[in-house]
Amino acid sequence: MEDNKFEFVTIDAEASEHISAPVYSYWKSVLRTFLKSKFAVFMLIVAIFITVFSLIQPMFSGYSAADAPYINDFSRRFIAPCAEHPFGTDHIGNSLFDAVWAACGTSLKLSTVVTAINMVIGIAVGAIWGYSKKVDIVMMEVYNIFANIPYTLFLIIMMYVLGQGTKQMIFAMTCTGWLGIAYFIRVQVMIIRDREYNLASKCLGTPTSRMVTKNILPYMVSVIMTLVSREIPAVIGNEITLSYLSIGLPATVASIGKMVYTYTPYMNGYPYLFWIPVTVLGLVSVSLYVVGQTLADASDPRTHR
Amino acid sequence: MKKYVLVRILRSLFSLVVVTSLAFAMVYTLVPRMRIFKTDGTWSKLSSDRDAQMSYENSTYEKIGYIDFIEQKDICALLYEDKSGTGYSSCMQAGNAEVVSFVEEYEAKGYTSGVYEKNGLVWMTREIPLASRIVDWFSNILWLDGPNRIQDANNPDLERGYYLGETSTGSPALMCSGCEYKYQVYVNGSFPFIHQNVLNVNFGTSYPTYANTPVLDVFTQSQGESVRTEQLMPNGTTQSSSLDLETCKYKYTLDNLDVNKFNDNYADCTTVRQDPSMLSVSAIMGILSLILSYGIALPVGNLMARKKGKLADKIGMAYIIFIIAVPFLAYIYAFKYVGNVFFGLPDKFPSLGALNWKSYVLPIISLSLPSIGSTMMWIRRYMIDQSTQDYVKFAKSKGLSQKEIFNNHIMRNAIIPIAQGIPSSIVSVISGALITEAVYAVPGMGKMLPDSISAFNNPIVITLTFIFTGVSIFALLAGDLLITVIDPRISLADNGGRK
Repeated sequence: MEDNKFEFVTIDAEASEHISAPVYSYWKSVLRTFLKSKFAVFMLIVAIFITVFSLIQPMFSGYSAADAPYINDFSRRFIAPCAEHPFGTDHIGNSLFDAVWAACGTSLKLSTVVTAINMVIGIAVGAIWGYSKKVDIVMMEVYNIFANIPYTLFLIIMMYVLGQGTKQMIFAMTCTGWLGIAYFIRVQVMIIRDREYNLASKCLGTPTSRMVTKNILPYMVSVIMTLVSREIPAVIGNEITLSYLSIGLPATVASIGKMVYTYTPYMNGYPYLFWIPVTVLGLVSVSLYVVGQTLADASDPRTHR
Repeated sequence: MKKYVLVRILRSLFSLVVVTSLAFAMVYTLVPRMRIFKTDGTWSKLSSDRDAQMSYENSTYEKIGYIDFIEQKDICALLYEDKSGTGYSSCMQAGNAEVVSFVEEYEAKGYTSGVYEKNGLVWMTREIPLASRIVDWFSNILWLDGPNRIQDANNPDLERGYYLGETSTGSPALMCSGCEYKYQVYVNGSFPFIHQNVLNVNFGTSYPTYANTPVLDVFTQSQGESVRTEQLMPNGTTQSSSLDLETCKYKYTLDNLDVNKFNDNYADCTTVRQDPSMLSVSAIMGILSLILSYGIALPVGNLMARKKGKLADKIGMAYIIFIIAVPFLAYIYAFKYVGNVFFGLPDKFPSLGALNWKSYVLPIISLSLPSIGSTMMWIRRYMIDQSTQDYVKFAKSKGLSQKEIFNNHIMRNAIIPIAQGIPSSIVSVISGALITEAVYAVPGMGKMLPDSISAFNNPIVITLTFIFTGVSIFALLAGDLLITVIDPRISLADNGGRK
């Protein structure tokens, strides 16, 4: 045995710090869990396709709900779906294909704006509401007054008072729409608020704002996703209801609700006029809902195994 | 507990008042006033004569309660009681000095005055403040009838007092002379059998649709074709008439037809019609759809929980996703189409009418579709939560079958939160009825809301807001009380324990 066959090994400080377990990244785990569900992935593709298409197609088609360029061309009326008109044409000769995508775009834009406003206000108010006992007393009174009114009734009255219009509709839907979200968040915050690590944090003098944003909100990603996935179809549905009662969007804006209302009389003779818009819209809401629900499940850390 | 219930009732009343006042304020300030004439035929007929049209507008506004309105003829009638005298006719001249000083006096009180272009006669208006209108509306909601209510200058010898009598069909009745209603309390064969007119409800007068009918009568009166029967009239003759004699009110000026039937001034009666009232149509449909939705949702939710992850559960979940994600209006129309084409059921309520049971089938099922979905979802979740509890394991170890455990043990505990949800399903049935009744053209209260909105009928819009909000608020209260009855462990009152 000769000494030169051996050499001294230094202690590698870096290697000893290395953790052999796979690195846990929250968002990567969310993605992995989400991709496990084939159905949700399929629905995600459908949702992306419809969203992109309904935002881009109206730019090229030049469709406008305000004018009817083919109203005197009788040969263009009620053409069944064919190669030239994939969804057929309606009673004033407009291509249903163009109209559906324009209306779908309206629904998506509206639901995004309304959901965003409601969620931001709802989460902000809900977080403070759940945290501060003084705010709780005031807010509970406000909630008790407004939460008992049927929401559809409230929307109808608001639209009646404000008159038709896109801005009016956004206002009507966000006026008390955040209240339910805020209440839901309040309950969740209250559950988490009194956990031990938050008590410890409080003892160490962490300011309330920091505790809300750093300690509590991250736990709520899953809850928030669930709320978003419910809010979007609800907004789309409410727009349809209001436009159907002709107190919704103005006549110049393409809308599925108005299409349902306009095409209902042709349901027996030209059923495609009714079924195509409704099917496309159903596909949008269902796909967004399923994607949202699966994301909500995936963003719950307990599902990350 | 009693204290808690009392406080809750007061709070509910408070929020009802707040919501209705808000709706009242918004509707009467933000909706342009002129819109009520959009659908009014009389107003458009007068459009050639601006004076007459303005007079009609202002007297309509006065009727609805927007303004106080005084014309020269009202001023002169105040100054000279005898309309055939010379004083009155000289007063009715344009520019009469007495009238001018009268107008000046009223202008100091806040009236604005003007002169008609054609005949030069004077008119005056004054805005009624919103706050006093809201207070008026609420203070007039309930009124008591009594023998001193009728003050008729043309009938000074009207007897005043209560007496016992009988209705036209011979059942006993407490009757009144001098009251608004002739029959104060009476018994007859229709629900709720004992009827009263002592304490009455007043929601104002409907306009422009159902013009000049009290709003409550619009909802509660029977609809459709009138039904004539042989009746013994108060003056002793037997006639074929569609009048409901028990509803007669005092009528100030009688016409010839009235004199042929009545021996007193109680001649303002409602007509018996064949179809149920809006209120009963909505109530029948609401109650039946609630029964239907719980009748389906409870067993199906139970089945889903028992077969968790299997085919039945998956089909149920697909239904729930469909109900939550697809817009209500879209699937209602789809359902209506299926029911009409494949089952031959009428797709519009009036095509077979209110007397045929087939008319009710599709609207009732459509109403219950959404609440079936949500109830199924909750009952499934509660039962699955319960199924890991110790008492379930104990029951299993005793050798009970899966079915027994689910039906007799878990269901009992899972039903508690569901019972609390019953009232909120009532709320959702109301929301659903607003659309369902419009889709099926059901002549109920839900359809009244979109209808009165398109007709700018503000009094009905306010009243419907009041009724629907009231029903939902008290339904939620009832739900909280219901769970304390079902589960005695739950106490709503704060007993000073740990929070």
